Amino acid sequence: MKSKSTKSLVLEMSFLLIPLILYGIFKNGYLVYEKGLISFYVVFKVFYLILIALSIKFIFDLIFKHKIIIDYDLLYVILIAMIMPYNINLIVYTITFLITYIITTLLEKKFTFNKVCLIYLIIILINSLFTKFTFLNILDERFSYNFSFFDLLMGRVVGGIASTSIFFTLLAYLYLIYNFYYKKDIPLFINLAYLSLAFIYYLITKNNELLLNSEVIFASVFICPLPKYSPYKPGRAILYGLFIGILTFLLTFIDKYIAIYLATFSISLLLNIKLKTKKNV
Amino acid sequence: MHSLIKIADNKNVFIVNDIYEFIDPKNIYIPILKSSSFNKNTYIYKNTYFNDFIASASGFISGSKKFFLYNQLIPCLKITNDFKENVHKNTRIKKVNNIDELKQVLLKYKLNNIYDKLSNNPDNIIVTCVDEEAYSAREFMCLSKNYDEILQTMDYLSKIIKINNLYLAIKSTNAKSIKNVKSIIGTYPNIKTVLLPDKYLISYKDNICEFLNVKANSIVLTTNEVYDIYQSVIKGKEIVEKLITISGDGIAKSYVIRVKLGTALKEVVDKFIEFNTDNYEVYVNGYLQGEKAQSIDELLITKDTDTFIINEKSTLKEEECINCGACFKICPFDINVKKCYFENRQSLKCIRCGLCNYICPAHLNLKKVVGGQNEK
Repeated sequence: MKSKSTKSLVLEMSFLLIPLILYGIFKNGYLVYEKGLISFYVVFKVFYLILIALSIKFIFDLIFKHKIIIDYDLLYVILIAMIMPYNINLIVYTITFLITYIITTLLEKKFTFNKVCLIYLIIILINSLFTKFTFLNILDERFSYNFSFFDLLMGRVVGGIASTSIFFTLLAYLYLIYNFYYKKDIPLFINLAYLSLAFIYYLITKNNELLLNSEVIFASVFICPLPKYSPYKPGRAILYGLFIGILTFLLTFIDKYIAIYLATFSISLLLNIKLKTKKNV
Repeated sequence: MHSLIKIADNKNVFIVNDIYEFIDPKNIYIPILKSSSFNKNTYIYKNTYFNDFIASASGFISGSKKFFLYNQLIPCLKITNDFKENVHKNTRIKKVNNIDELKQVLLKYKLNNIYDKLSNNPDNIIVTCVDEEAYSAREFMCLSKNYDEILQTMDYLSKIIKINNLYLAIKSTNAKSIKNVKSIIGTYPNIKTVLLPDKYLISYKDNICEFLNVKANSIVLTTNEVYDIYQSVIKGKEIVEKLITISGDGIAKSYVIRVKLGTALKEVVDKFIEFNTDNYEVYVNGYLQGEKAQSIDELLITKDTDTFIINEKSTLKEEECINCGACFKICPFDINVKKCYFENRQSLKCIRCGLCNYICPAHLNLKKVVGGQNEK
């Protein structure tokens, strides 16, 4: 077994996101452009979001750390850009991202919370004040499709701008299982709890829309097990996963797409409060 | 058994497949742990003991020098070798009939580490030819060169301790040792040869007993220890020489060298080692289990030092902990390494195997805090 550095872990995870980003460009860029609904430049919106996020991170690094560092923050900003809704306003996104990134990074020294989820939730909240709160792209809004299960699995479901491909997410998870540093129990137990409840809900109501939620799968694989915000002891990791899964299911009745982020943020905050109380005792 | 891992090989480390000798050092050094005075020009005979340290050559005291031992600089007597190997009196071989007499002889030859391993009424004797440290080859070389003596000593021990369960454990990757042993093992039907997987810590007592499915009340010895028993108990010789490995990616070739105890490492290095770089760092007793030393000049070969790793100086710096939990996951004793590290607390369960340091992506020196100064 070969040991890895933080830098290589971050780069490895970032490379795993490339297929999802490319699929995001295809689904929310090319397909919409093909119908003549957007200009060519908008095809690469996810790139702009990532570029803005990376620029903010690098400028922050240069100001506060005097050099550009490849650390987990790099992965965080890419992930935040990927889970944004399609209709995100770039100006609102840039300003809100800049402010929340600086505040959360400085706050992080005192408190532990899932930074990715918090920044995301704040941006979504601010964005909803300026534009319509929806995760549908123009194509989804105008047309109604009858997708096959394979299409849905590939990523034709509604969700973040580059987080909808369940197929590529599962492929990444299969790869990550063999990564010694990855907390593989967490995604497993989140999905186990969530899918069990969603299935029971389906049996009772015959409503299957909660069963295939790409945001839950994406966040459970990439965001919930982020090392800094999740427990590493096997028992605690399982509990953490189960709690997130259950809370996500409950929160889907508020909003299906932000439920997992709200649940992850809440549980990571609770975990921090619990640990802080334990230390004080 | 906790799942064991294989340490990744360093392709830049090439160990010469032979034992070299350096048994004529210009000077030998004897650590003086207790304050005592010695006159310059006093003649010291070979095999003279100074507390636990032995004079491995004869000659006059010509001064003193400080060496880094037991985590501190310790003054050592400098004896200029006259190459006459004069001994004050020859020791006579005493016939050993039982384990208690064997223990007495071991104490006489200051083989305390072997003495500690000899439990009463053991069920098995397991001799391991496993170099736990990734870039060490002294156990493997010892068996390759002295397989006849080692098998003979194992047979001798079984008669004294009165047990028939003898195991010779060889790493499955050591083809040369396996071949040598196979050619002679028929003479010793009571010795069972077992092949071990190439996993780190496999020769640790609990692990090997579990792997062989034998009771924990076993004596686990290394091939070098068995060879020391052969030299002292069977041949009646004082242990004044030992095998060391000088290895690492900072040098062109890695060697297993037979040296005299009390030889300054610098003298051996000057004779054998060709450096790949001027920017190197030295680890005493291995990269994983050992400690980083300040400089080669301060290092002395004693019975407690055996593997010297000379690596290209690492540019990696300690970073912020990312809470990955890899240190906890890899620890063979399930120590919450991260917790101990941040609470600056030593764990008594730690055997300083160095796996936590090896796996840590933030390059934290966890072993130093968690392992403290625990002896393995």
